[in-house]
Formats: sequence, C-alpha cells, structure tokens
Amino acid sequence: MPGVKYSGRLSDAELAAVLPPAERLAQGPVAVIECVQSIPCNPCEKACPFGAITVGDDITALPALDRAKCKGCGLCISRCPGLAIFVVDASGDEATIMLPYEYLPLPAAGDVVDALDRSGKPAGTARVLKVNTAAGLEGTAVVTLAVPRKLADIVRNFRPRGRDAIYICRCNEVSEAEIRQAVREGARTVAAVKLATRAGMGLCQGRTCRRLVSRIIAEETGQHPAEVLPATARPPVRTLPLGTLAGGEDDE
Amino acid sequence: MTNNYDIVIAGAGPAGLAAAVEAARRGARTLVVDENTKPGGQLFKQIHKFFGSHEHKAGVRGFAIGEKLLAEAAELGVEVWLNSVVWGLFANKVAVVRGGEQITLAAKKIILATGASENAVAFPGAALPGVMGAGAIQTMINVHRVLPGKRVVMLGSGNVGLIVAYQLLQAGAEVVALVEAASAIGGYGVHAAKIRRAGVPILVGTTIARAFGRGQVEGVVLAKLDESFQPVPGGETTLAIDTVGIAVGLTPLTELAWMAGCQFVFSPRLGGHVPLHDADMETTLSGVYVAGDITGVEEASTAMEEGRLAGIAAAAALGYGAAAAEADKAAVRSRMDVLRSGPFGLGRRTAKAEILAQRKEAASCRE
Repeated sequence: MPGVKYSGRLSDAELAAVLPPAERLAQGPVAVIECVQSIPCNPCEKACPFGAITVGDDITALPALDRAKCKGCGLCISRCPGLAIFVVDASGDEATIMLPYEYLPLPAAGDVVDALDRSGKPAGTARVLKVNTAAGLEGTAVVTLAVPRKLADIVRNFRPRGRDAIYICRCNEVSEAEIRQAVREGARTVAAVKLATRAGMGLCQGRTCRRLVSRIIAEETGQHPAEVLPATARPPVRTLPLGTLAGGEDDE
Repeated sequence: MTNNYDIVIAGAGPAGLAAAVEAARRGARTLVVDENTKPGGQLFKQIHKFFGSHEHKAGVRGFAIGEKLLAEAAELGVEVWLNSVVWGLFANKVAVVRGGEQITLAAKKIILATGASENAVAFPGAALPGVMGAGAIQTMINVHRVLPGKRVVMLGSGNVGLIVAYQLLQAGAEVVALVEAASAIGGYGVHAAKIRRAGVPILVGTTIARAFGRGQVEGVVLAKLDESFQPVPGGETTLAIDTVGIAVGLTPLTELAWMAGCQFVFSPRLGGHVPLHDADMETTLSGVYVAGDITGVEEASTAMEEGRLAGIAAAAALGYGAAAAEADKAAVRSRMDVLRSGPFGLGRRTAKAEILAQRKEAASCRE
C-alpha cells in the first residue's frame, strides 16, 4: 500500500494534496507542508508572520496554507517538530529547496552533496547554497540546496558526499572535519582546538599540524592568519620520557 | 661548575655552527646543543652547489661547507653535544636532556638557532605511506642513499622542490611531474631548467587533489586550478606513482623563543611568526639571540651569516673581541645584504628590514 502510513513516503495522492500548483511554484518561493495526518500540533500556525498558515482551535486539524500570503521566508521550517515543512522556489532556471537538517557534521555552503528523494534514494546532485544555524532555530539547521528544476518536487533530503578523511594531526589521527567542527563549536584558538581534539598533542608536538590548524581556524573565523597565535609553548618542547625529567636534577 | 658557559647555542645547523665558530674564535666558552646524531643541520643533505659569491662559498657544495665549519669548530674547541635535546628555556637557564640525563645549563648568552620545520599539506590520502616531505626524501637519498620510491611526483616549485626533484633524478628515480599551484615557478629558473631538460614536466596552476592506494600511495589525482586556485572542471589527471614529495615551504621553529617571552611579529614572507631582533640578532630579551631559519626562512648561506653576526655580537657583549666587533659585524652585514639582493631577495630583504624597524619601535616603546 502506498502512503506515509505504510512506507513513510507520501503517496502520490497524499502529495497531490500538499504540493503547490505549477503556477504558484513559478511565482517564487513557497512553503510545502507535507503534513497529511491529523496529529495534535500547531507551532506552524504561530511561526508564520504573515498569517498564511491556519490550524485553528482543533489542533489536530491539518495546517491550511494560504499560498497567496506565503512569502517563502522559511520561518516555519524549523518550527515544525515533524520536520515536514520545506520551502521550494522553482521560479528560476535552477530550483532551490530549503529543508530542515539535524545531522552532524553540517555541510558548508558550496558543498556538493547527493540529493535524496523522499525514499532516501539518490535523485541527483545538489549544491549547498546556505546553512542557517541561527540560535532561534533551536538546533535545527535550515539548509538551502540548489537542484535542477525538475527535481523541485522530488528532493527532500541530502547526503554529504563520502569524503575521504583528511588527516590534519597524524599523531592523534584528527581529521579536518573534526577540527572544523571543534572551531564551529567554539574553539577559536589553536590551544582550544588542541584541548578539544588532541590535535598537536602527539609525538611531533604539533610540528606537522599546527600550521594547518591555524589556517583552518583563520578560514572558519574569518581572521587574518597573523591573528591566529600558536598554542602556548610549554616545556618540554620535545617528547621526552617523563622519568628523565622526574629524575635527579643537578640544578647548579 | 663545568656547566657554566659563556654562550649556549641551541642547534648545530649552519647558523648555530657559524655562531659558535665566531664566538669561540673570540675567546668565548661556547657550547652547541643539537638533538640529532650528526651536526650540520640540513647542510649535509645539500649535495648541490651554493649560490652567492666567493665569500659566500658560492660553487661549493653544501656538505663541503658543513665539513669545513665542523673542522673550524673542532679546531677552536667548540663543544658540541649531540643527541641532546633542548627542551626548555627559563630566563638564562637552558634545560637539556643529554643521554637520558637532565642538565640545566647556566648561560650568559643564548643563541637560538633551531631552524624550521617543513609545512604539511592536507589532501585525501596525504597520510598514506609514500607521501613525505622533501626533507625526508633528501635525508633518504643524500644521507642514507636509499631511494624512497621509483616514480615520484613533487608538489611545490620553490627551490627546495626543484632541487630535491633534481636530486631524485640524480639518485635514479623517475620524477613523473613537478606540480605547482601558483601560475609560475617559485624557485630559480636555473634549477627548473635542470629538471625540465631531464624531461620532468613542470605543471604550474596544478595541485594534488588526492592521493590513493592500498596501504601505500599508488597514485595521485592532479587538478588544474584557475587563477583563484579553484579546480577547473574536467581538469583532473591521474598519475601512477609510488612517492609524493611535499615541498610547500617551511615554518620557523620558535617554541623556545615563545617560551622565553620574546616579542614576535607575523611575517608571511618569512614563514609565519618570528621573533623580533635587532641588527645584532638580539631579541627583545636581553642576552637571547636568534639566527638562521628561526628568524625567518631563508637559505643556508644567509643562516650562516646571521649565525656569525649573532656569534660576534654575543661574544662582544661579554667583552670578547669587542674592539673589532663593529667592523666585523659590518662586514657580515654587507655580505648578508648581497645574498638578499635582486628580485628573488626583494621579499626577504623587505621583510627583514621590517623586523629591524619593528624591533626599534618595540625598544622605544619601553623607554
């Protein structure tokens, strides 16, 4: 049996009820609320600053979207606990799709990703245009994808391309992705990245990775490389057996 | 006690040895500490002839210059501790581990000549065995006489990349390509011409997109780059190789200077953060001198001149050879200026002048 209840994928009939008509799609961005079951839920109604979404007093009612009022701003996307709202813009040569995304690592603008359909099957290639992680989104990132126009009604998810891990710190096997993630989570200095990831704490004591780490921090934070200072140099600057230092000291 | 030296020098490379020779010649009791099993730093890997003019030992091969320096140092009674690690610098105390034993040296003057370390690049597969720094390749072929592989691609067209590619050819390897991300070759044209006429393609505007292989590098994918260093669609080429040489510059090894509390300046042309120093190579900390690549990445020839300058200045500050010191230093400085002349030296010359200017400013701020 087709349908969201049986396969998790909306049936064509279910979709027909929620997809905007071609004329509206061609006019510019519009929300697509793929909510087809009567569940008690209504945050979308309040999320819309234009009053385009109505659920009503009976909160199990399906949301009704007034597409004439909808500006496609996407404020409703992260407010839907079911992650069922998308904003599709098929007015250009290329379609854009704003979708909710709650996986880590987050993609970055410019990434090329595999676009997935409602069944999670690859539907083509998408380009990440924007990743919105504003605090108000409460941890639901809103990712804007660019896809071929014919995929506007098809693509509802994406998978980052299986990138080969790039090792930055070889001693402790810390990848580029881990370091970028640490910076995005607030490690803004070489020392902070070191504490968060152990990059630079291995046998070579950072000789291999510290410059690469500095560059990643500069890139991620928009700083000039001159502003990214090395981690505090502390003795011993070379790896030594601890016993050597713990042993006798002939100080003077 | 015996561990009281006039001058302790960290690093027995060209800068450290040259500093030691000048200091010892003037009568200072001098010790050089180096973590390696052999002195000479990178000099003994340099089997090519150096540039410069006669007084810079132009035309002499690097290792021969190293042998001469070592002989001079031995003759002058310079003590050289090998396999000895300087692991910390605390005021005028140099912390050393030698033969498993911790020794604290009291030094009247300290010269840091720790050199530089090679920059790494990150691309998928960069951590595969067979991908190595150009310095490692040089050690293997020129010191240990072992080929790292048979088919090599070299990344980086500065003098290091060009010279090591040439030395690989000399050692019997095939250099499949030398690739350079910039639109022009970075190093000397003469070095480039040598490998070009041996049939090595030099691919500018190209980089290594990734390396691949099972347990060992078996190939690389090269990518053509546009002017903004972005890959050109369809510009990928795959080469079957077993070794990748990385020659993308060096970074000064400055931990001891940071730890001591020297003031630093950021100089992209010199390889990153470098300690400020004056015309005598003294840092913002009285009695702590720097020489060679720690002050900014250059060549062995300039490193030796800086070492001489630091050696003369540190000795003179202790009263050794003080009368002739100004004239001696002036002679070194003029030789050094020559090494930094011409279009290739312009960037370094300007950057070095900037360091001296900033050092003066730092000094006047304190007064």
